[in-house]
Amino acid sequence: MTGQDQQSDMYAAREKIHPREVDGTFQRLRHLAVVVLLGIYYGLPWLQWDGRQAVLFDLPSRQFHLFALTFWPQDFIYLALLLIIAALSLFFFTALAGRLWCGYACPQTVWTEAFIWMERLTEGKRQKRLKLDQSPWTREKILRRGSKHLLWIVFALFTGFTFVGYFTPILDLGQGVLTLSLGFWEWFWLLFYSLATWGNAGFLREQVCIYMCPYARFQSAMFDRNTLIISYDEERGEPRGGRSRKADPKAQGLGDCIDCNLCVQACPTGIDIREGLQYECIACAACIDACNGVMDKMDYPRGLIRYSTENAMAGKPARILRPRVVIYAVLLLTILSGVTYSLSQRVPLSAEVLADRNVVYREVDWSTIENVFTVRILNKDRVAHDYAIRVDGIEGIAAQVRDDRIRVEAGSTDSVVVRVQVPRDQIDGPGQPFRLILESLQDPDIRNVNTARFNGPRD
Amino acid sequence: MSQATHESRQQHLIQRYGTTLWPSFLIAGIASIAFFGNIDPETLQVQTLPDWNISRLGGYTIGFFMFWAVGLTSSVLSLALRGAGNQEQ
Ligand code: SF4
Ligand code: SF4
Repeated sequence: MTGQDQQSDMYAAREKIHPREVDGTFQRLRHLAVVVLLGIYYGLPWLQWDGRQAVLFDLPSRQFHLFALTFWPQDFIYLALLLIIAALSLFFFTALAGRLWCGYACPQTVWTEAFIWMERLTEGKRQKRLKLDQSPWTREKILRRGSKHLLWIVFALFTGFTFVGYFTPILDLGQGVLTLSLGFWEWFWLLFYSLATWGNAGFLREQVCIYMCPYARFQSAMFDRNTLIISYDEERGEPRGGRSRKADPKAQGLGDCIDCNLCVQACPTGIDIREGLQYECIACAACIDACNGVMDKMDYPRGLIRYSTENAMAGKPARILRPRVVIYAVLLLTILSGVTYSLSQRVPLSAEVLADRNVVYREVDWSTIENVFTVRILNKDRVAHDYAIRVDGIEGIAAQVRDDRIRVEAGSTDSVVVRVQVPRDQIDGPGQPFRLILESLQDPDIRNVNTARFNGPRD
Repeated sequence: MSQATHESRQQHLIQRYGTTLWPSFLIAGIASIAFFGNIDPETLQVQTLPDWNISRLGGYTIGFFMFWAVGLTSSVLSLALRGAGNQEQ
């Protein structure tokens, strides 16, 4: 096969897939996941905490509010760690349980499910929809199609609105939409995100998974023989073939697969799981539920298609704790506990101590040497604080500040000049370390300790 | 592609755009987070285009689309090179 063929093969003409509706344990689980995840997505921005939005990535003022915590650009490390944790969890769960993410939690799947649900509501079940696709533009078709698109568009717009609501306070945003007084960029993102939702969940659907998603293509790197996959029990099922419910398949030389094609019709990506594991499979388990329903009707045991592992299918013992799973788990736990610990120790105050670059030291009088520092204070708390500055670490060290209470408003920075004086007879070489302590007068737990260096004459 | 219907050609186009638009979109998102997490678009604007009046939200948006455009260009070029008989060897 030449490359050109391969390519046109890969981009084979696609017929719109109308997955057959199935019911079963896994589909109920998936629907539950859809409801819970969408509920979180649409509900979270409306949650209030301490009189402001509980979860708000306030981009215009560069602050992230997460319930009781507020993050600043200085806390970028947490964001980076969060991304690392997300990536590691993805590796961990993929190694363990295959594409759980795809089947149950990926936004692409979740919104596609929601859009298919609306499609079902307006255009009916699979058979009806297939017929509707073929039918000429009758009044009914126009009505059904029209109401589907109306539903989709309203839902997509609300999705876009909610998305922007994570970045600008959603109550103001609602006001702005109602009075048509949003800023340009807010309109832009609202419409852009709505359009993306509408296109991805309404039209592209499984093509996102098959042609666009990088994760799907990396699955072979993350899988091993002990990873949970959806598989068809070929030994049990083959040779497949139709038969009557009463017949004894063994006598007819048949396996358990009755070749009803329900697993294929149920598959949202349009593949036949009986051909083995394919990268198109998003592990949604729809085929399992479809097949189990058939097995029940035929009075055969369930599980002709089931969650299994390559090793288990080959009759080898399955291992859960493999080196890669353990390594991912250890890494994940270490980073998680580190982040939790550091968050619990986090003080809503940070300071930077900068030495005067022009004058290294100054002799105040014959017995005192002075260094001048600029202290930049960032009050990361949600209320204003008055801070006091102290120094220690060298005998007789003292600090002079223009004011003994330095007031910094909530979420603001202020710079103060601090004159640090040390008796000459305590000077012992250049760059003696000392501590500069900043403490809130309202809450002594909010303190920041900085180590700086004091310079004096060499003898 | 003689028997290709209008629909399949359209599909083909969608898939082509998908393989370039989507990966560059994802990367642009990550790049924007890393970049703007450390750099305030307002400072950037004051220092480089003092006469312009761009809000922070505008800055983020422009930055994001710039990252996207760069990634997209490179993806499209890769796709074009791949399609131009390079894969025969
Ligand atoms: S293949 Fe990609 S887009 Fe599709 S469900 Fe999985 S992660 Fe999501
Ligand atoms: S093969 Fe089965 S599990 Fe995989 S995508 Fe299709 S229906 Fe879902």
